[in-house]
Amino acid sequence: MSNLIAARIQMGNSLGFHIVFVVLAIGMPLMLCIAEGLGLWRKDPEWMLLARRWSKVVALIFIVGAVSGTVISFELGLLWPSYINFAGSIVGPLFAIEGIFFFVEAIFLGIYLYGWDRLSPRAHWICSFPIWISGIFAAFIIVTVNSWMNTPAGFQVQNGKLVGINSWQAIFNPSQPYEIMHMVLAAFVGIGFGVAMVYAIAILRGKRDGYHRKAMLLGLTVGLVSIPLQMLAGDAIARSLATQQPIKLASMEAVYNTSSHVPLHLMGIPNVPQQSWYTQGLVIPNGLSLLVGFSPDTTVVGLNSVPANDRPSDPLIVIIHLAFDLMVLFGTFMTLVAIVFWILFIVRKGRMPEFGWLLWGIILCGPMAFLAVECGWVVTEEGRQPWVIYNYLLTSDAVTVAPYLNFTFGVFTIIYIVMSIILIVLLVRQARTPMPKMEWAAVIAVNPAEESTVVAQES
Amino acid sequence: MTVADVLLIILWLALFIYTIFGGADFGAGMLELFAVGESGTRQETLIDESIGPVWESNHVWLIFLLVVFFTAFPPAFAAINVVLFIPLLLAVIGIVLRGSSFVFKTHGIIRRSRNVRILSRTFSVASAMTPFFLALAAAAIASGVIVIQNQSQVVTNTGSDWLTPFALTIGAMALTLCVTISAIYMTVEATSKGETELAEAFRRRGLIAGALTAALGLLGLILSPSEAPALWHGMLEKAIPLVVLTMLVGVAAAAALWFRRYVWARVLIVVEAAFLLLSWGVSQYPYIIPPDVTAASASSPLETQQFLLVGIIIALIIVVPSQWFLFYVFKLKKVTTGVDVADVEQKPAAE
Repeated sequence: MSNLIAARIQMGNSLGFHIVFVVLAIGMPLMLCIAEGLGLWRKDPEWMLLARRWSKVVALIFIVGAVSGTVISFELGLLWPSYINFAGSIVGPLFAIEGIFFFVEAIFLGIYLYGWDRLSPRAHWICSFPIWISGIFAAFIIVTVNSWMNTPAGFQVQNGKLVGINSWQAIFNPSQPYEIMHMVLAAFVGIGFGVAMVYAIAILRGKRDGYHRKAMLLGLTVGLVSIPLQMLAGDAIARSLATQQPIKLASMEAVYNTSSHVPLHLMGIPNVPQQSWYTQGLVIPNGLSLLVGFSPDTTVVGLNSVPANDRPSDPLIVIIHLAFDLMVLFGTFMTLVAIVFWILFIVRKGRMPEFGWLLWGIILCGPMAFLAVECGWVVTEEGRQPWVIYNYLLTSDAVTVAPYLNFTFGVFTIIYIVMSIILIVLLVRQARTPMPKMEWAAVIAVNPAEESTVVAQES
Repeated sequence: MTVADVLLIILWLALFIYTIFGGADFGAGMLELFAVGESGTRQETLIDESIGPVWESNHVWLIFLLVVFFTAFPPAFAAINVVLFIPLLLAVIGIVLRGSSFVFKTHGIIRRSRNVRILSRTFSVASAMTPFFLALAAAAIASGVIVIQNQSQVVTNTGSDWLTPFALTIGAMALTLCVTISAIYMTVEATSKGETELAEAFRRRGLIAGALTAALGLLGLILSPSEAPALWHGMLEKAIPLVVLTMLVGVAAAAALWFRRYVWARVLIVVEAAFLLLSWGVSQYPYIIPPDVTAASASSPLETQQFLLVGIIIALIIVVPSQWFLFYVFKLKKVTTGVDVADVEQKPAAE
């Protein structure tokens, strides 16, 4: 493997692993906040128990997110020294600002997880707010950096030197609002359907009680509200590409020549070297032209408008196209489930629909929500190739000259696999711990920070 | 004073805070390896309880260091990442294993004691890896053996620059220093919970680790004229008083620990860390990578540095009170409601 390939796979692995925990770490604290708030407000032991049990889950997933994020912050320098050298001068302060939110998140998470008995219930609940608010802000900042890589702004290059640096322009670069909206909504879609999935499984297995229903309903509410908004945001970001990153859009739909009346090929497989299609998939005539400009006459820029080495390589285009279609497919399925659920919910006058087929649909939405996030990042990252900073720095120029990248890639892959296995085992165990009595006093007595050690010492 | 100098001072402060907080957490991880004897389990429990709520926010100081460094001095950061690729990578692996094994151990439901032990050992070994390799890298940079004349010719060093007697000594010294800091903090924690027996155990460990730190520090000093000439000359010119103060404060900290003045020992070891890092910083200034790269030559554009500085000031306004609140809740505030310490410890027996 060349250094470039090895470094890209290692970075891709790290980011693909980390993003799952980003979604969880943004969304779960919000769920905690809502559940604990409802619990305190209504003195409802079921909501309270949900908050208490989720806080243990959050402790586990948050830390995996934090360490994998640390790996990435090191890998930026270790794998891409020239990228850091270039980007550090312009968007570096953003990473520092992200650090603020990371601090706030870590500090209040520590207080929240260990402070059940040290703070008044209300003070404890208030400490959950800074966690999810700073989570959203941190995502805001980091996605801003990524959007800057897609549409760099706020600097000039003169004789190989960076001049005229304007950090505000760099921050509010053209693609920034679209990307942020898309990612933050993706986090809520992910957490909503992720939580709903867990409790849909439980309900399907016969645990039809208030505790599980409440949890699933909360998850579904978050998921079902955000998925229609997400479809709109996705549509907006795709349209923005036509002007801001036309080659990415051309790669997503394998548009070879600049033309009007461009169709969409749903799940078709492009044959890039021959500039044709292996299978056309489901063709929507004029689809892309309509999507981009609301008219079949809209011109869409094609891949051939730039030299072959200025666009993603042929096999990448196949991946980009399929990843894009899968993302849209998953999004559509989730929207469908959302519509069906709400119609049934309203028709049944607020009684939760618990039909087996619907629960299965909700269960499928869980992994789909996370796969859609992965696909989206594949599209945006692969679609920018061969550039790491679009039109300014080639990925191949950014990579390190360090040796043994194959080896380090292997080591980190093993670490991620082992960590995932342990985490899954521990989460399943957490889910299987017996419930206390559903009474306020019994629930309050469950101390999340200490219960686990008690269990450990008993056996 | 230039903006770059201010940023250097901020980097130094962050390093200092990381040493006295994050370093203590690493030290606690290593102390767990020595949590043996009759009180072993209680030592381990106390260690886990004390670092549990705070270690993650302490860890963020490292991220802060990293991002401020690469924003303020990008070419130096890029060069270091290439040359010292291997030790830095090992430090990262330590970070991953330390954090995850600690949380799996304390928040997961682990049924077999063998698995708890595996996680505990991983936690201890990983806690040693990170400070060792970070200090090793810092020593390699400070010793002035890394030559960077042209950014494009920088290559990864496979050991001749960082597997030197000097770098290894400083790496080892970082380990013993972390253990010393942590052991002293633990004496205070144990005393405040009325565990005099545990405080004694930590006092012994602190004294041994402190003595080792002093010995390794002297060895480093002896090695530096030949092994780290850049640092040695800088020290002779600018930092002799600081080095002397470092030694005196070290002796005072040891004395306070010996006479069981634990709160005093805690203050003194923090001051000790400050002087130690100050001697190093002053000796190396204005070089980031001696002998070729200075703060001025590696600076990012002025606009960026100014923007960064404003960002950092806002950050500190938000972070410092939050961090104080965290320490207040867990280290100062008396537990008033519900379960107190005695209760928690009886729980397993009662059930």
